[in-house]
Amino acid sequence: MDLQLASFITAGALVVLGLYGFFFVDNVIKKIIALSIIGNGVNLTLVAMGYKEGGYAPIYIPSVEFQVFAREMAYPLPQALVLTNIVIGASMLAVMLALSIVFYRKYKTLKTSVILKED
Amino acid sequence: MNLLPLIVVVPLITAVVFSYIYRSKYVKPLTLFIGFILLVLPLLGTYGPYFFGGHGIVYIGTIPLVSGIVYTLNPLKETMIFTLMLIGSIVLVLSTRERELSGVFTSLVLMGLASVSAVILTEDLFNLYVFYEIAAITQAGLVILSGTEEAYRSAFRYLLVGTMAGSILLLGVGLLLSATGSLNIGDMGRCLTVNPLTPTVYGGLLMLIVGLAYGGGLPPFHTLKADLYARAKPFVAAILQAYSKFILIALMLVVLKLFGNLPIFHTTRGVLIALSVFAMVFGTVMALLQEDYRKLLAYHTVSQGGYVALGLALGTPLAILAGIFHGINHTLYKSALFIGAHILDKIKSTDMRKVGGLLLVTPTLAFLILCAKLASIGIPPFNGFQSKLLLAEAVMNANMPELAVLMLILSIGTFLYMMKAFYLIFLRPCSEEQLREFKDVKISKYYILSLGLLLVLCLFLGIYPDIVIDRLYPVVEDIGVKWVLESIKNS
Repeated sequence: MDLQLASFITAGALVVLGLYGFFFVDNVIKKIIALSIIGNGVNLTLVAMGYKEGGYAPIYIPSVEFQVFAREMAYPLPQALVLTNIVIGASMLAVMLALSIVFYRKYKTLKTSVILKED
Repeated sequence: MNLLPLIVVVPLITAVVFSYIYRSKYVKPLTLFIGFILLVLPLLGTYGPYFFGGHGIVYIGTIPLVSGIVYTLNPLKETMIFTLMLIGSIVLVLSTRERELSGVFTSLVLMGLASVSAVILTEDLFNLYVFYEIAAITQAGLVILSGTEEAYRSAFRYLLVGTMAGSILLLGVGLLLSATGSLNIGDMGRCLTVNPLTPTVYGGLLMLIVGLAYGGGLPPFHTLKADLYARAKPFVAAILQAYSKFILIALMLVVLKLFGNLPIFHTTRGVLIALSVFAMVFGTVMALLQEDYRKLLAYHTVSQGGYVALGLALGTPLAILAGIFHGINHTLYKSALFIGAHILDKIKSTDMRKVGGLLLVTPTLAFLILCAKLASIGIPPFNGFQSKLLLAEAVMNANMPELAVLMLILSIGTFLYMMKAFYLIFLRPCSEEQLREFKDVKISKYYILSLGLLLVLCLFLGIYPDIVIDRLYPVVEDIGVKWVLESIKNS
């Protein structure tokens, strides 16, 4: 199978799996993991968009003529986006996990139905 | 020399510094100092583009394309950033009167100001996404600092949904990048105009709208935002609502620039108008039902966000102008109302069942809050009247008189709940003992002064709205959607 297509299918599967976890699992940590999986699915989609069959990695190779390199390299912009997004995702994750610890200390459970219950 | 990047860089760097010195005894004086510096920042940039790296404008054949990240400054963006920095400055100065101030609070406010300024200034869609996410974390952080259990819950909910909405927005950015090959909003708009529309573009637009709704507090994320405002300390909610309002305006302008002149905007416009109307109606109805003044203000903020979005969604230059002008006005008077709520919280509580008769205790505060309420209802000579009138005129010009009627009905609703709140807090009789208890509370003059300053601005913009309108109109004239204008002329 075409590698790009396979990547898109995998990314789709990750997003669907993440959505299932987010909406139907009653556990704070699992919800956070589900969100992380969705984020990874999106990242994979972006990387797959810039993929080029048989192309060069977007790091300049002096031995290859510039015109050929520019034509044949993978599109580097999505990779830069994904790198930045990984950092943002990590910071979001850190804050949510810190809050989960606070909730666990208070309620002695990780059930979303208990923690996020309206008064 | 163009010092435009300093608008973002100065708050960003000082935010990092404050996070290191958060326990230092110098936090208060430094917070005051940076509070005043913020007011100067919007004046540092010069109008026009600023290129971060890249090669500036490059030509592919005869087509000009932007290389690298660009920030642009124009009178519209300058006015928005000045309003934002003013509110930020006031909140920082007021925070020095709070006992439990730490550098973390200052750091988060500054981080938020930097990120929202970047969202306003940037012409790069991914750069916008990055700062949009930073703004989301900052807002959650500011609510967490309130320290209550409800605040933790609200922030957690906001982050949970925000992570999802952020992923959706990023996917939208990726889809639009794949459809256009660029991240520069101007280049993307031009590319979309000349190329046939594909499902990728439709998907990108849909995801952009989801991100917009989350960032700006439009349905289906309106309850999250309202919850966030209601759980934060009221004077913190003042800056939170300013963040949301300007993110909403910035993202709506992006949608207009990208899709405004495409046939797809016909449907998009309908969807955005529907979301705005729902926010307006829902916010007003929910505010009518509240017994807590903070929650009432939170839902009022949601409903006013609907007004702003409605103006921008209509797409005519006049409507866009009215929407942005209302956003600026709303930010000013709503900050005043939230600061008023903070004073009430200090006196006793924002629960309207627990207070009363405050007119006898603090007549100055009662007068100032009444003025802020009149501005929010849209009564002359305050700024709310001018922007609502302009919006009603724009709605009529766009051949949608039914929306003007709805706005009128909702204004009556706003009048009812604002006056109900005023009666319950200031006029309702209460016992001598309670009055003595209220009188014992000392209110810092800083609060009254900041309230007064905001109301002077509201009054000034109400009497001389042209000062802002004349600055904004030449910019919004270019953003206005041509086919909407043509269809209005034809009809």
